[in-house]
Amino acid sequence: MKVATFPLLPHQQSNCDVDLPYATFHELLKAKTEAAPSREFLIFPETDRRYTYRQFYEISMAASEWLRPMAPPKSTICILFRNTPEFLAIFFGAVARGITVVPINPDLAAAEIQFILENSCCEAVIYDPDLEAKLKPLSARLRQPFHPFADVARLPQVACSQAEANLPTVGATEPAAIIYTSGTTGYPKGVVLSHMNFIVDGMGMAEWFEFTSETRSLCILPLFHNNGLVVSTTTTLFAGGSIVLVDPKASLRSFWALVDRYHATHTSVMPSILAAILALGFDGKPGQLEGIICGGQLLPLSLAQKFEARFGVPIFEGFGSTEAASYSCFNRFPASRRKLGSVGTVLPVCEMKVVDETDVELPDGSEGEICIRGANVAIGYHGLPELQAQKFRNGWYHTGDFGLRDQDGHYYFRCRRDDLVVKGGEKIYPAEIENVLSKHPNVTESAVIGVEDAILGQEICAFAQLKDVNATSESELLKFCGQSLARFKQPKRIVIINRLGDMPELPKGPTKKILYRKLRDYYERRLANSEDPEGLKWVLGSTGA
Amino acid sequence: MTLQELYAEVSPIATEVLRIPQFDGSVNMSSTPEWDSLNHVQLLSAIERKFAIEISPDEAFKLTSADKLVNYVHGMLKGKP
Repeated sequence: MKVATFPLLPHQQSNCDVDLPYATFHELLKAKTEAAPSREFLIFPETDRRYTYRQFYEISMAASEWLRPMAPPKSTICILFRNTPEFLAIFFGAVARGITVVPINPDLAAAEIQFILENSCCEAVIYDPDLEAKLKPLSARLRQPFHPFADVARLPQVACSQAEANLPTVGATEPAAIIYTSGTTGYPKGVVLSHMNFIVDGMGMAEWFEFTSETRSLCILPLFHNNGLVVSTTTTLFAGGSIVLVDPKASLRSFWALVDRYHATHTSVMPSILAAILALGFDGKPGQLEGIICGGQLLPLSLAQKFEARFGVPIFEGFGSTEAASYSCFNRFPASRRKLGSVGTVLPVCEMKVVDETDVELPDGSEGEICIRGANVAIGYHGLPELQAQKFRNGWYHTGDFGLRDQDGHYYFRCRRDDLVVKGGEKIYPAEIENVLSKHPNVTESAVIGVEDAILGQEICAFAQLKDVNATSESELLKFCGQSLARFKQPKRIVIINRLGDMPELPKGPTKKILYRKLRDYYERRLANSEDPEGLKWVLGSTGA
Repeated sequence: MTLQELYAEVSPIATEVLRIPQFDGSVNMSSTPEWDSLNHVQLLSAIERKFAIEISPDEAFKLTSADKLVNYVHGMLKGKP
């Protein structure tokens, strides 16, 4: 099927001639199952569970039948699981029924989870019973029914033919998932991605890296983010390969053991994972590992070189965003074709360009905003028409990332246009934390910035102005943040502005807008090397990745 | 050492590393945001030091709950002279 024949949105149209062999996730899984039913599809080392394509297909159909009374086609469900076969079973079962899946990070604070459940207007919530205590208060006050789902083995036995007969027709451009990411206003925004978005991007990457049925991906990034769902899952499935699924929180120390024992050929990581492996001195054999896919935050060239020199595995840095399903450009495969320091060239499934502030395309070598268009680019934002119009305009998705393209077509990422903090690959807008701090009765004003961190890339530092300087301590404010924010969003350090001798208030421009760049400069000059006033321990990090 | 006795020894280490109020059979990685990737590494290192054992990287990723961790350490200590 030519993608150009689909009902595409303006920002999904491009000059790329994309032929999509499978319109939906269900078609893709079914075709791969029919091609090689007894080939291994999914390995879950934590409990030594293994599933062939046939077994997993049957599980997905059983999940589809289990979901039938809970959510009709074209409805939405929210799911809360860590990386387990149960996540993938519910995901594939739901999208086969035309249900849109909203995967939620189980580590979010209860208030953040509630926001997503309400904002997505979901029909039901499916969750890991380990989260019972956390979700119970929510289930008591929300209208949606909550369904625990412990084990794929407990799904009702259903003949595939019967389940297939109950499936509705689902189109390639219909939504498959809504992925929530941090929003500039302080509330997460839902990115609506279609079956086509996922499969086109997965296909683009599978062909780029020459994935085959022998490909084995070690999935150590969370499935509730698009990286785990697209790079490790869709891409590998498209090639007919196999996935080794591990909890991201438990995988760091075992990284090389997992690579070696399960014969992983590829894995996808955030730069912070490479930094942690080096910093913690975890040694191991790369075995059959052909390459490491890396992105999501700036990869320092020195880190890449150090890692490659030590372990002899090439790192392929790329660039993308949730709004483009995942990656849109990559360094070329094999390793000899890479241009280190760049984020590579555009995947053949989409187009990229660099524009100035009036949307005029800039010549090679000029710095501007990076834009993407093509069949991998999302439908848009859920229920945010103004933001949609702002970011998806003139037939292109405007990433908010600044960079340039060289004469060879390689892109270079420079910085964000806004003040987004990227901590261990997790994207956090300052407004999320500032909104919480503003609710503290003794805080009159606050501002949050990203500061350099050797392992996570960035950490969070919050500045707060108090009404009564003696009434609240830094640690009390940290605790206050902990009540409403996921742990990875909580500041590592809080600075009370009233206690600074040389900055009586937040730096502001003529319109009284906070000047974050000046605040970052101040931090670098005055605070970066100083001890926290209360001697708070700067923990190593807090993201799941 | 019984499992209960071992829990009593592991709990103070885990509560300090993870900065959580208690570490008992109800604690698991899924429902404990504080039990993140770097704290998992620190927790296992602290337990190795305390009991003079070595937790294999082949097993470390399976220790995703308090029960799994304590049971694993219990098994390791049984094999020690």
